[in-house]
Amino acid sequence: MKTAVILCNCCGIITQNIDWEKVRAMLANHPANPVFIGDDLACGADSIDRLRAVLAEEQPDRVVVAACSPREHENTFRRLMADAGINPWFLHMVNVREQVSWVTEDPAAATAKAARLLHAAMNRVLRHEPLNERAVPVHTEVAVIGAGPAGMQAALTLARADRKVTLIEKEPMIGGLPVRFEELFPDLECGPCLLEPVMSELLHGHAGANVNLLTLSEVTAIKGSFGNWTLTVRQRPRYVNPDLCIGCMICAAACPVRRANRWNGSGDMAAVDVPFAGALPNLPHVDASACLKLSGRECNACLVDCPVEGALDFADQERECTIVAGAVIVASGAEEMQELPAAFAGLEDVHTAYTMERLLAAYGPSGGELVKGDGAEPSSLAIVHCAGSLDENGVPYCSGTCCRAAVKYARLASAKVDGITVTRLVREQVMPGVAAGRQFHHDQSSVVRYGDFAGLCVSGSGVGRVIAVPGGPLVPAEMIVLCRPVVPGKGTADLATLLELDRDGEGFAAPLHDLSGSCSSVVKGMYLAGSCRGPGDMREAFATGTAAAGLALSELVPGRDLIIDPQVAVVDDRLCAGCKTCIMLCPYQAITWNGSDRVAYVEDLLCRGCGTCVAACPAGAITGRGFSRDMLRAELEGALS
Amino acid sequence: MSCRTVTTDVTTPRVQPSRSTGAPRVVAFLCNWCSYAGADKAGSNHLPVPAELSVIRVMCSGRVEPVLILEAFQKGADGVMVLACHPGDCHYKEGNLRAFCRAELLARLMVQLGVDPRRFYFGYVSAAEAERFSRVTLEFVQQVRALAPPLAEDRKG
Repeated sequence: MKTAVILCNCCGIITQNIDWEKVRAMLANHPANPVFIGDDLACGADSIDRLRAVLAEEQPDRVVVAACSPREHENTFRRLMADAGINPWFLHMVNVREQVSWVTEDPAAATAKAARLLHAAMNRVLRHEPLNERAVPVHTEVAVIGAGPAGMQAALTLARADRKVTLIEKEPMIGGLPVRFEELFPDLECGPCLLEPVMSELLHGHAGANVNLLTLSEVTAIKGSFGNWTLTVRQRPRYVNPDLCIGCMICAAACPVRRANRWNGSGDMAAVDVPFAGALPNLPHVDASACLKLSGRECNACLVDCPVEGALDFADQERECTIVAGAVIVASGAEEMQELPAAFAGLEDVHTAYTMERLLAAYGPSGGELVKGDGAEPSSLAIVHCAGSLDENGVPYCSGTCCRAAVKYARLASAKVDGITVTRLVREQVMPGVAAGRQFHHDQSSVVRYGDFAGLCVSGSGVGRVIAVPGGPLVPAEMIVLCRPVVPGKGTADLATLLELDRDGEGFAAPLHDLSGSCSSVVKGMYLAGSCRGPGDMREAFATGTAAAGLALSELVPGRDLIIDPQVAVVDDRLCAGCKTCIMLCPYQAITWNGSDRVAYVEDLLCRGCGTCVAACPAGAITGRGFSRDMLRAELEGALS
Repeated sequence: MSCRTVTTDVTTPRVQPSRSTGAPRVVAFLCNWCSYAGADKAGSNHLPVPAELSVIRVMCSGRVEPVLILEAFQKGADGVMVLACHPGDCHYKEGNLRAFCRAELLARLMVQLGVDPRRFYFGYVSAAEAERFSRVTLEFVQQVRALAPPLAEDRKG
């Protein structure tokens, strides 16, 4: 056993307080058998070359470097060791600059402390094991879940870099929510127009050739880890052959059945139909539960009229496919809280933001006319902000997007209906941003403040209907819009559970870090985009879609293996008692249960080496490589010597 | 740079590291990302840190098992500190909260084991809190210094 102990002077900064000669004398007899190597500035380019040559020549079994903080130069010396043919994990650094020389006034005390810490380090390195980085080949394909703006943007960004992408969408069409909104805040830009170039590139463009779009599809299972995920996707039958259908919609006109149009929140559609004009891909789909033919009844109306033989395919079956991908981007979106509060449930002409958007859209149920259920224009519109937000009976947070929508509705209602009385009932108003400020200051609606959402009371009917605000006026409310909170919805909730993503307190997919890792999840190789991360607008959807794709591009590079840091936790099968304590504690879902052997298993690809499981294991069965119990114990003994 | 020499100094008399009698021995487990960085910053700012303090770096305060702390006392430590990221700042999400819970339980256990819980300190130091690192370490060492040596108590028992 021979240990090279490099003592850096740091150009006199360290030796100002520490006498290396005394330290050498104190430690010469250490069992690590030290070979002291003095250097004036060990990190200097010339010294690196010299030290590399010395280490290559000496071939010490261990290396201790007493210099600056390991946070500064640990990697420098690891590289140096690797170049000298020594396993870089035999290194331990002693921080004698920041943590001894600079903070200890008395040279004798500083020298004693340096000797003590070096003693600890020499104890420690005796316990070091050679470690090796593991190189794992990766799949560079990416699966994107959700084809809203965030998912489409992520898929296109990847596809433009020639990555193969599978874009998985549960609806029959792409575009998410904004494709159904005709007027987008703040400049009333048309949603489908804005998204058209994106959807067009995706469906028909050059980059789109790299995207395999699966509509009517949901992920049902996932296994694997970063670089090698296997997703099982279930695709419901469309009963329309996408290769043959020309999208003429003659079938929809011929269909004798009407079903509720859930995408509009009102009105109906044929059993074979598109949710709204312009929905893409330009293909109808058949609702099997509404279709007479698929219910076993005698009907061939659509088949008779369809101009392309084989375009309608009633033999279509549910399919299950397997997707292999190196990374997964979750862009499953969010939704408005669905159920209406009791005071408003069952009343006529009460809208949520979503049904209001559809009502205002020219391709919506009323052709863009702001009309009540009876077809007449309302004389008054009451828009209730914070309808369930910042509320102990609803959600405690502000969605941050509804106030903008409310101001937009007020403006559009006044433009569409002459003489309409528009009142915004606000609890709080949140309108940050330059463009928002512009809209806010031009808002003509009257504003009534209320304190408690549960205190709002609706009375009367028709033109005379009012919302009574406790301690305030009676607000004319022939039509009502409730700005309900944005919530993760079942889609994102179920997906987060399936993918074992962490959820924040409100059920949104939790980012790795709120500020610095907002598009990464805690699971390595799974990225987050759009409002599955929390309420957001379209700008955020596009930005985070791009960001998530960028992360996937930078971490999965064709021809470049994934290098796994060897300082991970490892379970000793012989010692593991199968208590599963570690599995519950791991912040990264890196530990799985091996049911056949009844032991825990750490996936090194996912482990980030924090050591929480190591400290928690009641059987002491987990070793934290690089920070093992033996190493820390030896270091402790040295520090207390 | 050729003036520097390689010394293989095997002729020096063999002397074990000595510690000045009466100086308390204090071990501090610091997490790499916050408290260790805070200690480095204390160094950059040339703030005083007790010479009696021996720092052991771990990646996360959640790595420090309570048994290791008890072993430190068994091996003659006069005081042990565990310094973590502030709640909500943990590089590993929640390792600091695990460490906090373990520290709470350990402090109670120490009483039963006859170790004065004032010899143990769990606290939070961020990467920016150089002054705080300097202060809590100085105060803790001062506090430990004021207590009777634990081994002396043992011998009496």
